[in-house]
Amino acid sequence: MLLREETYRQQSNFAHYCRTGEFLPIKGVDEKRVHHYSRLVFNVIDDTLRSAFPLTVDLFSEEEWETTTRRFFASHRCNSYSVWKMPFEFYQYIISSEDELINKFPFLDELLLFEWTEIEIHMMEDKMFPEISFTGDFENDVIAFNPEFKILQMKYPVHLKNPNEITETDEGVFSVLIFRQPETGNVQFTDISYFFYRLIQKIMNEQKPLADFIGEAEQTFGVERSILLTNTIPFLMELQQNKFIIGFKK
Amino acid sequence: MIDERTANVGIGFRKEFAEEFLAGNVLSPAFVEVAPENWMGIGGYWKKIFKRVAEKHEIYSHGLSLSLGGPDELDWEFLKNLKSFLKEYDIKIYSEHLSFAKCDNAHLYDLLPVPFRWDAVQHIAQRIKSVQDFLERKIAIEIVSYYTPVAAEMSEVDFINSVVKEADCNLLLDVNNIYVNGFNHNYDTKEFLQKLSLDPVAYIHMAGHEKVADDLIIDTHGEPIIQPVYDLFDYTVQILPQPVPVLLERDFNIPELTELQFEMNRLENICTKHWRNELVTA
Ligand SMILES: [Fe+2]
Repeated sequence: MLLREETYRQQSNFAHYCRTGEFLPIKGVDEKRVHHYSRLVFNVIDDTLRSAFPLTVDLFSEEEWETTTRRFFASHRCNSYSVWKMPFEFYQYIISSEDELINKFPFLDELLLFEWTEIEIHMMEDKMFPEISFTGDFENDVIAFNPEFKILQMKYPVHLKNPNEITETDEGVFSVLIFRQPETGNVQFTDISYFFYRLIQKIMNEQKPLADFIGEAEQTFGVERSILLTNTIPFLMELQQNKFIIGFKK
Repeated sequence: MIDERTANVGIGFRKEFAEEFLAGNVLSPAFVEVAPENWMGIGGYWKKIFKRVAEKHEIYSHGLSLSLGGPDELDWEFLKNLKSFLKEYDIKIYSEHLSFAKCDNAHLYDLLPVPFRWDAVQHIAQRIKSVQDFLERKIAIEIVSYYTPVAAEMSEVDFINSVVKEADCNLLLDVNNIYVNGFNHNYDTKEFLQKLSLDPVAYIHMAGHEKVADDLIIDTHGEPIIQPVYDLFDYTVQILPQPVPVLLERDFNIPELTELQFEMNRLENICTKHWRNELVTA
């Protein structure tokens, strides 16, 4: 490298100061002004994280937020060149390094992931939509799903309840479907039962009509076919209205 | 690079005014500048918006993350993605900053001042050359505003001239940054411009700033351009050896679009005043 070790040291100390607030000697630096850099640099981090995680901001005390975000930026090396992806690194940092917070808020990992996933689905690259026909039969045709989605499996209802009110007693099994509406690009999320979670997975993986799975479900859940269908089809129609179901396989 | 007989004044694209910009005709920039880091590798709503902008306007790109002045290895994965992005939208201009934004493997998402030193000149020039080779084009590097020197061993202007000469790259002259730096570091901006190599200047930025103390201006891009910066721009246009595109940057505190167009018109008038003859004969 053409850069002298000593020059590198000056830059490294400067960057270290911006990230941590800890001042190591930097030649010729104006000590009355240098704090503007740490302020401006941290503002970007704070603004980006606040807009990515509004529910978490609300859950934490101001002090918790301030100290956690500062610890994150000081100890974690941000790797994303696009600043909008940096919040995902915050999520990863929290789950790997902030045990105390995770103990205090046992649903924090899921809350952060839920908030991040909304951004991820909103921003992710366009996926290929399958060739479909808009009309079809829910029972006997293969349902075609919008490919721009994610389903999160969670133990706490972070998508249903104000995080400030979630307690250990809320623990259960939850699935949230998060998807992007094709025309508007808006992100929608909807709570789905475990049954629908499995059903959607099965239809996607096996590319078979609903009728094939209802037989299996009859056995697994011990529920009559007609009851299963009357409970299933209205929800599927709702998903069609919301554009998660985009039609039927040709 | 410039349209016949018309000055080439563009606008920095912001999500905040995207809808209004696309819906109306209030803003009529000659081109639109974007930060590739915000528009590469995305889909959905913002990709649709970006495509509409790119259909209507010529796109210039101005990078944020490359950290040409930094000690870390260049990010070749980023450069690869950048290259296909530039190709996909037929983007002819890519510029970056003469600063660093990444160090010890950590992005800082801001433009930090580099040490004005000879070894830094060589280091940065070599990096610019690698980037130019890889992208198969010249890039323009922007003189950034700064609030404190860092380990300087040579003057700012010598440093910049040396980098540009060694790297054989173009220069992006942000006239507001020159004003801010002259104010913050107490030097004569016209003298600075006289000493600066102007032949490589390929592009101009103009913006507003914020005075935070009697002796310190922060380059916020959150205010209108002030009169002394227009005056310095007028001077710059007169001494530049060739007409170049001019960009209005406004990143925060976005006003009505009519106000932005008004500022762009003022810039255009100044360009036309001084460049008309050259443009007519060009
Ligand atoms: Fe600029």
